[in-house]
Amino acid sequence: MMNQLKAELSFLRALMSVNLASAMEYRVSFISQVVGMLVNNGIYFVFWVIFFNQFGTVRGYNMDEIFLLFAIVTLGYGLGFMFAGNTRQYMAYLIAQGRLDYYLVFPRNLLLHVVCSKMTVSTVGDVVFGLIAYSFTGRFALVEIGLFLATAVLAAIIFVGYSVITGSLAFYMGNAQYASQQMTNAMLTFSLYPNTLFSGAARVMLYTVIPAAFVGAVPVDIVRFHDGRLLLLLVAAAIIIWLIAIFMFYYGLRRYESGSAINVNV
Amino acid sequence: MGQLRLTATKYGAITVTNLQNQLAYVWEALNRAVFIVLIMFVFVQLWTAVYQSQGVTEIAGLSLSATIWYLLIAETMELGKMRHDERISEEVKDGSVAYTLTRPYNYLAYHFFNGLGETAVKMLLVFLLGMPLVVYYAGWPTIQPQHLLPVLLIAGLAVLLDFFAFSIIGLLAFVTEDTFSFRLIYQKLVFILGGLMLPLDFLPAWLQPLARVLPFNLTTYAPAKLFVAFTWAQFWQILALQAIWLTVFGLVLWRQYRWASQRLAVNGG
Repeated sequence: MMNQLKAELSFLRALMSVNLASAMEYRVSFISQVVGMLVNNGIYFVFWVIFFNQFGTVRGYNMDEIFLLFAIVTLGYGLGFMFAGNTRQYMAYLIAQGRLDYYLVFPRNLLLHVVCSKMTVSTVGDVVFGLIAYSFTGRFALVEIGLFLATAVLAAIIFVGYSVITGSLAFYMGNAQYASQQMTNAMLTFSLYPNTLFSGAARVMLYTVIPAAFVGAVPVDIVRFHDGRLLLLLVAAAIIIWLIAIFMFYYGLRRYESGSAINVNV
Repeated sequence: MGQLRLTATKYGAITVTNLQNQLAYVWEALNRAVFIVLIMFVFVQLWTAVYQSQGVTEIAGLSLSATIWYLLIAETMELGKMRHDERISEEVKDGSVAYTLTRPYNYLAYHFFNGLGETAVKMLLVFLLGMPLVVYYAGWPTIQPQHLLPVLLIAGLAVLLDFFAFSIIGLLAFVTEDTFSFRLIYQKLVFILGGLMLPLDFLPAWLQPLARVLPFNLTTYAPAKLFVAFTWAQFWQILALQAIWLTVFGLVLWRQYRWASQRLAVNGG
């Protein structure tokens, strides 16, 4: 069991090295995408600076909370899809096109191999942005930095888990690329706005169907209030989401049909 | 007259062909447009919270309902934009621009009329999908029927101005090969200075004059603001600014296109 785990970890390390080397092959394009993402995220900061400057605190949120929210969400999103970028609409495409065959023949854990065989280059920009954004929060106590990193990693795990769920929809509904993309975008969009804006059914949705609260609002509260119980809740949420993801993927795999296309991985 | 009719028929056919193309894959277009429901829901919550926290019925002369309708129109303009700069950039990079330039139509006019069909479908879908939610939260729009045509004129010129801007960006591929960063910077400037994320009227007082004279607000803020709070004074002011920036961008684009065409000829096409 331990030997198998070591083998899988070693394989994952090799996959990530190849992905990173491949991404950095074209340096100008790599830097351009990273800087582009920094600019993209930065403009939302400018919006919020203007917003809070004009309107003050809104529903308990001001600029300090927004710095922390952006730091956690962008770092989590970046870490998640930097290492496991072959989810969401990409996974849905593979399944719909019958291109899982390439992965099925390998003596490796199928789900891990599929999700970790692609790196989204721009997410490096998200990781850098997340760390820069955290520096604006002024929270430099060791326990706060520790909580920030822990919640960001959990957010990454949840992002990827949810993306496996949305990508696996292709097993059940054929062409699920757009649905998968929209659901993941929805999660990201909702997570970047203060949770306190939403109430009733919308608030319930953010803890269930589109678990954006677990990658934004909950981690923010954990870091703000040093809430250990909330941290355990977040761990539980990550486990539940991944259990659902694994079930949906492997149950859907029974319905999978091979395609006739030749799949070349470069 | 005959030549004019032939030209109109030629470019009209290009528009209609792409329009039919878009309608053939309407489900794909619908899927993309679903984003508007999500983002409008978020905006409604955000701005409702702002008006409640301020304890006012109007901010900078705009009611909550007007602000929500403003954001729908702004998003419709933004999501309906032609993204032909990527196509131009790809054609320059892979060299296919060499034979598309020799076809019996103007290269830029082709991209404009080709994109027009797609823009029309996208804008209509975004507006129709977003409207029920906006009507539910903000009620029906208060625009007067006699103001609709002027607003449509400004919106049409906004589309044209945006087309010029993206064409300039696309043709930069002759120089920089990768135009991604220019496109991104332009889009982000529209987010703030163009009034996409919040009306220019909500910007700090020191920033508003600058934002109003720059071209970004003329593609997004202008039609949206006139839709929710039409005044003839603002209409003529916006029309004049659009004319000025269309002339400036048009001249830049014309020079750039001529330089690019000659560069291709010099290199053997």
